[in-house]
Amino acid sequence: MPDIVDIAVSAEGFSTLVTAVKAANLVDTLKSPGPFTVFAPTDAAFAKLPPGTITTLVQNIPQLTRILCYHVVPGRLKKADLAKYQSVGSVEGSPIDLLIEGDVFEVNNATVIQADIEADNGIIHVIDTVILMRPHWFWPIMNSALAASARG
Amino acid sequence: MLSALIVLPILGSLLLFLGLGGRKLAVALAGILLGISLLLFANFDLQAEGLQWVQRWDWIPAIGLSYSLGLDGFSLLMVALNGLLTLIAVLTAEPEVKRPNLLYGCILLMSGSVNGAFVAQNLLLFFLFYELVLIPIYLLISIWGSPKRDYAAIKFLIYTAVSAIFLLGAFLAIYWLGDPHSFELLEIRITSLSPVAQTLTLLALIVAFGIKMPLIPFHTWLPDAYGESSPPVAILLGGILSKLGTYGLFRFGLQLFPQAWADLGGILAWWGAIAVLSGALAAIAQKDIKRMVAYSSIGHMGYILLGMAAATPISLTGAMVQMVSHGLILALLFDLVGLVERKVGTRDLNVLNGLLNPLRGLPTVSALLILGGMASAGIPGLVGFVAEFLIFQGSYQDFPLPTLISICGTGLTAVYFVILLNRTCFGRLDNRTAYYPRVHGWERIPGLILTALIVWFGIQPMNLVKWPQPLAFTLSTQVAQAQTLILASAGDLAPITLSGADPGKRETSRN
Amino acid sequence: MTTTLTARKLPPSTHPFADIVHRLEAGGSMLPDTPENLMQIIGLYKAYAVPMDFYWRDLLYIAEQVFVDPLPFFKFIIPEEYLKLANHYAGDNADLRIWRGQATAHPELLEFMEKGELKRKLPRILHHLWHDRINMEFAEECMRAMLWHRDMGGLLDPYMDSEEYKQNADRAIRAYCQGNPLLMGLYKLFPDMFLELCRQATMYSVLGLFWEVMAPVFFEMSDLYDEGKITSVPEAMNFLVNGIFAIAGRPIYHRVRIRGEWYDIVPKSKGFTWLYEAAFPYVEAVFYRTSPFRGTKSYNAQANEVPTNQLDFHYGILYADKFPVGTAGIPPTLLHQDMYHFLPQYLVEYYRKHCRGEEDMLIQLGVSFQRSMYNVTSAVIQAGRAAFLYPLDDPNPRHLMMNRRYFEGQLNRFTRPEYGIREAARLAYIQDQNYR
Repeated sequence: MPDIVDIAVSAEGFSTLVTAVKAANLVDTLKSPGPFTVFAPTDAAFAKLPPGTITTLVQNIPQLTRILCYHVVPGRLKKADLAKYQSVGSVEGSPIDLLIEGDVFEVNNATVIQADIEADNGIIHVIDTVILMRPHWFWPIMNSALAASARG
Repeated sequence: MLSALIVLPILGSLLLFLGLGGRKLAVALAGILLGISLLLFANFDLQAEGLQWVQRWDWIPAIGLSYSLGLDGFSLLMVALNGLLTLIAVLTAEPEVKRPNLLYGCILLMSGSVNGAFVAQNLLLFFLFYELVLIPIYLLISIWGSPKRDYAAIKFLIYTAVSAIFLLGAFLAIYWLGDPHSFELLEIRITSLSPVAQTLTLLALIVAFGIKMPLIPFHTWLPDAYGESSPPVAILLGGILSKLGTYGLFRFGLQLFPQAWADLGGILAWWGAIAVLSGALAAIAQKDIKRMVAYSSIGHMGYILLGMAAATPISLTGAMVQMVSHGLILALLFDLVGLVERKVGTRDLNVLNGLLNPLRGLPTVSALLILGGMASAGIPGLVGFVAEFLIFQGSYQDFPLPTLISICGTGLTAVYFVILLNRTCFGRLDNRTAYYPRVHGWERIPGLILTALIVWFGIQPMNLVKWPQPLAFTLSTQVAQAQTLILASAGDLAPITLSGADPGKRETSRN
Repeated sequence: MTTTLTARKLPPSTHPFADIVHRLEAGGSMLPDTPENLMQIIGLYKAYAVPMDFYWRDLLYIAEQVFVDPLPFFKFIIPEEYLKLANHYAGDNADLRIWRGQATAHPELLEFMEKGELKRKLPRILHHLWHDRINMEFAEECMRAMLWHRDMGGLLDPYMDSEEYKQNADRAIRAYCQGNPLLMGLYKLFPDMFLELCRQATMYSVLGLFWEVMAPVFFEMSDLYDEGKITSVPEAMNFLVNGIFAIAGRPIYHRVRIRGEWYDIVPKSKGFTWLYEAAFPYVEAVFYRTSPFRGTKSYNAQANEVPTNQLDFHYGILYADKFPVGTAGIPPTLLHQDMYHFLPQYLVEYYRKHCRGEEDMLIQLGVSFQRSMYNVTSAVIQAGRAAFLYPLDDPNPRHLMMNRRYFEGQLNRFTRPEYGIREAARLAYIQDQNYR
């Protein structure tokens, strides 16, 4: 079976991701046995980012590495496996929020457009948005709105 | 020379009533008046006893009215204060005030009449000028000012009319019951009245001038009149008209009736102390800054009465200095409070806040207000302290308890001024409403002049105190002698000794 | 007027600031979209950017060279090399050219440093003593706010307590103290103090790197406005949002230059980013919280006026009462004094016509500055939405509901009843054009 990198290289629509992985020197890591669960943004996902974002990241490899590592979760987790969790820890260190209900499969603010692509050293889920680490104040802000409306 | 003080402003007022001149003429005349008083200061001889620049012309001999004028240190101070406050009042008036000629004309007419009252040496002449003041002041209160000014003006008129009745009654009693029948101050021999008559006449005078000062319980016209009138009028009312009352009490009460005065000393001292306390306590309760200053004025008049009651040289000097000091401080306070009301639009303590803000507030006005409050509370270094200290020092020996109570009153003055300053000057401006017009340079001038004087006399008090001192000594000696007489016996003694120095010696003609 | 979505998929909000929520959902800013507002905020961006040009250079100078000097008397005397230091985001050799102008110090800044307020060349010491200079104290206050409110997110904060940081710091401090026995002795006696000074120097560096980016952003916005290319408040905000994304990945680091050699205290390889380790903590610490300024707030403990929980501080620009500004000394006044020197002419004319004209221009520009910072905060909020949530025209109503929750949660920070925060927040005031 091809590994994660092979699948990404051969498939259509992942050229930006492949370039980024190569620039960040993560190819060897992603070719290692792992296993890894990778949330792979498409080229369209990268294009949604405002101009200059990729430029700056590519100029600064450690920072690019961090963003890419955030898309990787250790372990071989398919959609059914992930459904048990509300969030999983990424390789970068920050959690990724999950929403899996029936047909809905979302990670953070990205929708998984194709799930459970099997690779030799892991699983790939294709997402339509580049996900970014949610700061520690994110959920308190979201919940304060609920608390406020509950207070009336 | 003294006639100029009376004639010039009255002529000027007539010109203004005719529509000529305007603000410039008023300022010029007020300046000239002030200049004349400064000339008088320069030419006044402190060593001479008795009156200077004496003039006499028998106007209507049939009723005993003669145009007789004379000046001693005390009246000189009053005349000067009048000149200064007239100028300040004219400068304080808004440039866009309605009917300016009428306003300035009334101010000048009032100023001239008050001058006449201060220099008159004939009781009827004094009464004439005393009444003449009423017309312009009624117009001044009722035409310019706050909404309730009609009520205030009528009330003031009625009270002063009653005061005039008592005054006239007392003067007529002196004339008819006295021997010789004369209205001339120098010719009156008060001992020719019986002791009972003396006491009753003095009481009538105290009521008459008590309404004018005012004294509790005759004071109820004051908060309305001061509160509802516009700033220049309030300055004149509080600064100079109330002094007419105390001046009259000095001249015709203390000076003419030393024995009766000595009799009533104890009551008057307590009366003064109670006035101080009630004025201060009433001021603490006020929510309107102008009324607060008005009640403070009542309290400060109590000190004068206390000083007069004790009748020692120091306390009498203090009482006379307090008249000037109170005039200056009250003028400053009314000027500043008027500016605050003009710029901010309200006098309510609950609304005013944060005016010391250097960019959006009224920093100079607030700073001077703090200084004015300090002066009123008697902080050393300012003229208020000089006056109050002299009064307390002079009165303590004779009336320790009223003096102590009055000192407490001084402390209470600090209380209500701190309340005023805390709410008005400190705190934060309300972001929604604090868009006040700026205070222009020329609007600050009256306040700065008064502040300079208050500080100057506070640091160099002798410049102020030396003028009334001789009279204070004379009057005090009179009362002291009267007191010894009461203590010794009620027997017959030569009238000459009682009326003080030989009448022949008192006229030192200057002209 | 902001453009509204053609199909509003959600019912109206019931939040106290509902109209602002709707405006944000339509792509607008917390600040209403009027030409007057736009003029004010762009003018203030330009006036803020010139001193900011000085701030970031001096901050880096202090972080890199003054380092742990216990008595840094001359830290505000910036050396020429730092004035000539090329901004990474302007000039011909920029990493990412945000501003089309030059990379070295702004000409207006240099002119002011030469001649000061009087526009006359006097000895430097006279200018300095008369406080006729750029007031670095404001920048230091911002740095201190970030240092005190350390747990504002990001990975840099826990890193500053880690062993690796301590070792880096130790190495650098030893090199710094070498050859100075007094300093070395002090370090041996008080190692923790020097470590804390080093952390402070790291925050200097973070703030300097943060503002190195913001200055060209503001300069470019002002130039675009002058050219007529920015015509509405949402356009200005969107420029900021795009800017935030573009530089989100900029590395945040701290390195010290000692006798010609560079020592890394926070190396670039740690992967700290501008967005997470500088921008978000800055907004949290400086825009929202900072600290109560002495003389403007009561410290009466019984009155509970100052919150016991430091996270509840509400003394930043978004809550500031601008009217007390005008008394010398508190850092906002110092910033206003700086900005006063570089106001564009159209703003000076505008201020002359309102309130007290020349006399209270400091307060007028303070209020405009507050509006501009609300716009920046809106940009941060919208950038947060774009990064962590859904596009404004997302067809999924559940996604739109998440967006609304987010906006309402952000606005809740201005309506809290505790500590009078609701009265302190200026959000309601800036909706009114007459608030000057």
